[in-house]
Amino acid sequence: MLSLHPRPFAISFAGAAVFALATVASSFALEWVIDEVIVVRFDEGEVAVGTVLTGVSLIIGIGVVRAIGVVFRRAAASTGMWLVAETFTNEVVDRLVAQPASWHRRRADGDLVARGGVDAETAVSVIAPIPFASSTVLMLVVSTIWLFLIDVPIGMVAVVVFPVIVATSVVYERTVSQHFARAQERLGDFSAAVHESFEGVQLVKAYGAVDRETVRLSGLAGQVRDARIRALSMRTWFESVQEVIPALTNVGLVVLGAQRVDAGAVTVGEFSSVIFLFSLLVFPIRLIGYALSELPRSRAAWDRIQNIVDDPVGADPRTSIEPAPAGVGVQLDGVTFSHRQGDAHLDGAATVADVDAIDVAVPRGSVTALVGATGSGKTTIAELVAGVVAPSAGTVATADGRAALVFQEPFLLAGTLRENVAFGAPVDDDRIRSALHRAAALDFVDALDDGLDTVVGERGVSLSGGQRQRVALARALVREPSVLVLDDTTSALDPSTEATVLSRLREVEDAGRTPTVLLVASRPSTIALADEVVFLERGHVRATGRHADLLASDDAYRELVEAFEADRSTSDGEDLETGLQWSAT
Amino acid sequence: MSDDTVPASRFATDDSLSATATVFRGLALVPVLRRGLGITILLAALGAGGRVVVPVLIQQAIDRGIVGFDEVQIGVVVQLSVVGAVAILLSGLALRWAALRLGDRSERALYDLRTRLIAHIHRLSLADHGEERRGGLVARVTSDIETLAQFFQWGGMAWMRNTTLMLVIGVTMLVYDWQLALVAFAVALPLAFVLRAVQRRLVRAHGRARERNGEMLGALAEIVTGAVPLRSYDAAGHVADTVREATGRKRRDQVRAAIIGAFLFPSGEVFSVLTVSAVVSVGVWRGPSGGLTAGAVVGFVFLTYRFLEPIAEFTEVIDQTQTAVAGMRRILTVLALDVQPPPPDPDSAIALPAGALSVGVDDVTFTYRPRQSDTVASGPALSDVTFHVPAGQSVALVGATGSGKTTLGKLFARFADPDTGTVRVGGVDLRSVDDADLRRRLLIVSQEPFLFDETIRSNVAFAAPDRGPAAVDEVVERLSLGAWVSSLNEGLDTRVGERGDSLSAGERQLVALLRAGLVDPDVLILDEATSSVDALTEVHIARALERLATDRTSIAIAHRLSTAARADRVLVLAEGRLVQDGPHSELVAQDGPYRSMYDDWISATTV
Repeated sequence: MLSLHPRPFAISFAGAAVFALATVASSFALEWVIDEVIVVRFDEGEVAVGTVLTGVSLIIGIGVVRAIGVVFRRAAASTGMWLVAETFTNEVVDRLVAQPASWHRRRADGDLVARGGVDAETAVSVIAPIPFASSTVLMLVVSTIWLFLIDVPIGMVAVVVFPVIVATSVVYERTVSQHFARAQERLGDFSAAVHESFEGVQLVKAYGAVDRETVRLSGLAGQVRDARIRALSMRTWFESVQEVIPALTNVGLVVLGAQRVDAGAVTVGEFSSVIFLFSLLVFPIRLIGYALSELPRSRAAWDRIQNIVDDPVGADPRTSIEPAPAGVGVQLDGVTFSHRQGDAHLDGAATVADVDAIDVAVPRGSVTALVGATGSGKTTIAELVAGVVAPSAGTVATADGRAALVFQEPFLLAGTLRENVAFGAPVDDDRIRSALHRAAALDFVDALDDGLDTVVGERGVSLSGGQRQRVALARALVREPSVLVLDDTTSALDPSTEATVLSRLREVEDAGRTPTVLLVASRPSTIALADEVVFLERGHVRATGRHADLLASDDAYRELVEAFEADRSTSDGEDLETGLQWSAT
Repeated sequence: MSDDTVPASRFATDDSLSATATVFRGLALVPVLRRGLGITILLAALGAGGRVVVPVLIQQAIDRGIVGFDEVQIGVVVQLSVVGAVAILLSGLALRWAALRLGDRSERALYDLRTRLIAHIHRLSLADHGEERRGGLVARVTSDIETLAQFFQWGGMAWMRNTTLMLVIGVTMLVYDWQLALVAFAVALPLAFVLRAVQRRLVRAHGRARERNGEMLGALAEIVTGAVPLRSYDAAGHVADTVREATGRKRRDQVRAAIIGAFLFPSGEVFSVLTVSAVVSVGVWRGPSGGLTAGAVVGFVFLTYRFLEPIAEFTEVIDQTQTAVAGMRRILTVLALDVQPPPPDPDSAIALPAGALSVGVDDVTFTYRPRQSDTVASGPALSDVTFHVPAGQSVALVGATGSGKTTLGKLFARFADPDTGTVRVGGVDLRSVDDADLRRRLLIVSQEPFLFDETIRSNVAFAAPDRGPAAVDEVVERLSLGAWVSSLNEGLDTRVGERGDSLSAGERQLVALLRAGLVDPDVLILDEATSSVDALTEVHIARALERLATDRTSIAIAHRLSTAARADRVLVLAEGRLVQDGPHSELVAQDGPYRSMYDDWISATTV
C-alpha cells in the first residue's frame, strides 16, 4: 500500500527517525543538565551562566527538533494514508462503472458502497501507525545501545523490561479486543432488533405490545451492558498493570541506579536520565500493541476491496442485441433465460423469472402490452430487451440493434433537472423541453421558480413520486430510443397521465422514429392502451392478440385481468404523495 | 415552490439547550450515574497519586541518599523504594477500581436510558414514525447512545483521571516549592490556549471532512443504486467523474484536518521543554540559599513533564465530549416529544362494555400534520364525518385515493385522535378507553402486514403471547388453514425471513389473519391489500376472512368492489366526506359516485 504513494511515506519515515533519535537525545540533554548544571550548582555552589544557557538550549533545541519530527511524521503519514484511500476508492469506482448491470444485480447496494467507502478507510487505517511503530522500534534499539553504553546492568534491565511491556500490550489488545468484539456483536443484535421493532411500530401498537416490546428490547440492551461491563473489567485490569509495570521498573531502577552511582559506574545525571528515558518510551511501546490489533481488520477490508477490483469485468448483455429485420420493432427468437445456467444462487437475479424458448415479434412503432401473473416472465422479457440480462439461448433483436431503454423506478441524481434529463447526453434545452412535454412533465417544471435549473435530490426540492417518474421518462424520451419499455408495476403514473404520454410518444416529427413501446402492464386501463397484448404464463407465451379478443377467447386471461381489478386508481399509491406515510402493520 | 414549505419538523434538535443544561438534564434522567460518584472520584485521585511516586522517590533518593554524601546510603534508598513500590501498587488498585466503578455505573445508566427511549419512542404518534424518520429514531437508541458510551469509556475516564492527576501533581509541586511551581504554571499556561485554538480548528476541519465524506458516499451510492439506468443511458462514466471529484475533495479535507492534528502533540512538547528550561534556570539561579536541593530540582523536572501530559489528552477529549453532548441533546429532544395519542387518565378511564361492540364517528375532522418535505400543504383528510355501525354489522369503506378511508381506519384503531369530533367504540369515547382494553377488543389488520424475522408460529403468537403455543394450532384449525400450513416446509415453524420476504404477499396476509384470529376481537378493521395474489392463496384468504368476520363488527377498508358487494353496508367517501351510505344493491341502483366506480370496474374487467 505504501508503494502507491511513496513520497509522503518517505517524508514520514524521515520525520519518524528524527523523532526517535531526538527522543533518545532528550534524555541525554537532561543527563547533561543534571550533571553539569544542577548537581554542580548544588554540590559546588557555583555554575557558569554559559553552562546554564548551553543546557537550556540543549533541552529546548532537542525538544523543538523532536516536535518538528512529529509534525512531519504525522502529517506525511496521514497525507499518504488518505492518498492511498483515494486510490482504493477510485479503483473500486472504476470497476463499478466497468461492470455491466447484470453484475450489479447480483450484489447488494449497501455492500458495494461500503467497499468504496468504509472498507477503503479501514484498509488504510493500518498505514498511519506504521511510521510511528517503526520509529518506536528504532527508538528501542538506539535506547538499548545507549543504556548499555551508560551501564551494562542498566542495559540488561531494558532488555528484560521493554519486551515485557510490548508483550502485555499485545496480550491486552488481543484479549480485551475480543471481549469488546463480543460486546459489539451484542450491540449489533440489539440495533437490528430496535430497527425491526420501530419498523413494525404500527403492529406493535395495534396489538397493545408496547410494554412487551420494551421488555424484550431492554433484555437485549441488558446483554450489551453485561458484555461491556465484562470487557471493562478486563480492560481496567490491564490498564492498571500497564500503569504499574513501568512505575515499578522505575522504582527498581532507583535502587539499581543508587548502587551503580555508589560503585562509581554512573553519574547522578545518568541515573536520572535513564529513568526519564524509560518513562518516555513507555507510551510508544504500548501503542505497538494497538497498531498490531488494527492489522486483521485492515487486512479483511483490503481483501474485500481486492475482491471487487480483481473480479473480471463481465460481458455486457447489451452487446448481444442484434438488429431486427425491417419493419420489426422488437424480436425475440427462441429466447430462453434460465437461472440454472448462471446466477441462480445469487439474490438480485432471483427476482427475475425464467422464460423458455420464447418467440415474439412486434411491429415497429407499435405499442404492445406484456401481461401475465407474477412469475410469468414479463419483467424478464423487458430486461432481456433492455440488455440488463443476456439470454441463455436464442437471440434478442431491436430495430436499430441497440438495447431498449427501460423506464422503471425513477432514479434521480443529485443535480439540476437539466442534468437529470440530459444524463450525460449532449442535448440542448429545446430537446430537453420537448422530452419533458412528451413525458407530461413540462407543466410542473415550468411552475418551478428555477425551471430546468431546479436542484433535485437530497439537498434540493423534493418531487412527488409521479413527478420523479415523469422526469425519468423525459430522460428516456430525450434520447429518442427505438424501443422503450414502460413498466407500470413500478410506476406511479396515474392512468390518465399514462394515456397522455402514450399519445404524445407518437408526436415525433419523423414518423419513422416513433418508438416501439413495450408495456409491462398489470392494470386493465394500461392494457387497454396497447395495440396488442402478449399474454405470458410461467415463462411461455400463452396467447397474443388484442385485449378485447383475448378477454373473450381466453378464460385464464379474463380471470387474470379480473384479479388485476384492484385497480390502483382506487388504491393507496397516491396517499404517499398527498398524506402522511404510515408504516405497514 | 420551496418557499412555502411547511415549517421545520418537530424533530429539529433544540440547539438552544446549552451544554451544561444538557449535561444536567441528562444526569437527572439517570440517577444511577451519580450514585457513589464521590467515592469514584476519591479513588481516581488515589490512582493519580501513583504518577507522583517516581518523581518524589527520585528527589528523596537524591537528597537523602546520593548527592552530598560521601557514600551512597543504599539502605535508605531501598527503604524509600519499598515504600514507593507499595504506594504504586495501591494506587494501581485504586485506579482500576475507580475505572471499573465509572464504567459499571455508566453502562447501567446507558441501559436505563435505552429502555426509557424505547418505551417512549414506541408511544410516539405514528406520524413521528414515518419512513424517513425511522433511521433517526433508531439512531437515538443506538448510535447516539453509543457516543455517550464512547465518552464514558474513554473521555469520562480521561476527564476524571486527568483532572485529579493535574490536581495531585500541581499540589505536590506547590508543596515542594511554591515559587518554582508558579514559574512552571505561568510558562505552561499559554499551552492551554494554544491547544484550544488548534483544537477548534481541528474540530472544524474534521466537520468539513465528514461532510465531504458524506458527499463522496452519496455520489458513490448513485453509481451503485443507479447501476441499471446508468448503463442503459451510457451515463456511468459521467457519474464516475463526479465521484472521483468528490473523493479528491474528501481527501484534501481529510489531509488538511490531519495536518492540523499533527500540531496538537508537538505543541505540548514545545511547551514542556520551555517549562522545564524555566524551572531549571530559576532553580539554579536561586540555588541552595533559596532552600532548594538538587533532588528537588530534578524531581521538579519530572513533575513538570507529568503535569503537562494530561493537557494534550484533555484537548482530544474535548472533541469527544462535544460529540457526546450533541448526542445527549438529540436524545433529550426525542424524549421531549409528546406521546400521541395521550393515554387516558387512569382514574377516568371507562371500561368497554362486555359483549358485541358498536362503533361510530360523530362530526370527525382530521388533518395530517404537514411534513417538512411536503411541497404543498394538504387540506383535511376527513371533514365532518358522522356514521354509526351497530354491533355485528359488516361495513365496507370505499372511495378513491385520498378520500380518507384509510385515515378513518386509523382513527378507529386510535393511532391518532381526531382534531374535532368523537370516535366511539361501544358508545365510549376512545380518548377515555385504556389502551390495553382497546387492543383486546378492537383490532386493525393490515393485509400488508409487518412480519418479524422469526417463525410463523412466533409471528402469530406475537398477537397474544399469553394464549400459549397450542392456541396458534387452534386458530389454524378455526380459520381452516391447516392445508396451507402443512404445505409449508416446516409448517408453523417455517421461518419467514426479513420482513416476511420468504413468504408470498398472500401468505403474509394469512399470517395477519391468524394473528387476528388469535386475538379474537369484537371489532375487526380490515385494511385490504392492493397487491394481487395467486388464485390458491386467494381461496385460503377468502375462507379465513369469512370465518373471521362472522359474529363480529367489521369494517373493511375496501380496495376491491367485490368486497364492498359482500358487505352489509357500503360507506362511500370522497375527498374526506361521507357521500353515500347504503347496501351495495341500493347504491348501484342510484346515480352517484359508487355507481360510476362500479361502471369503471365492470368495463375494465369485461369485454
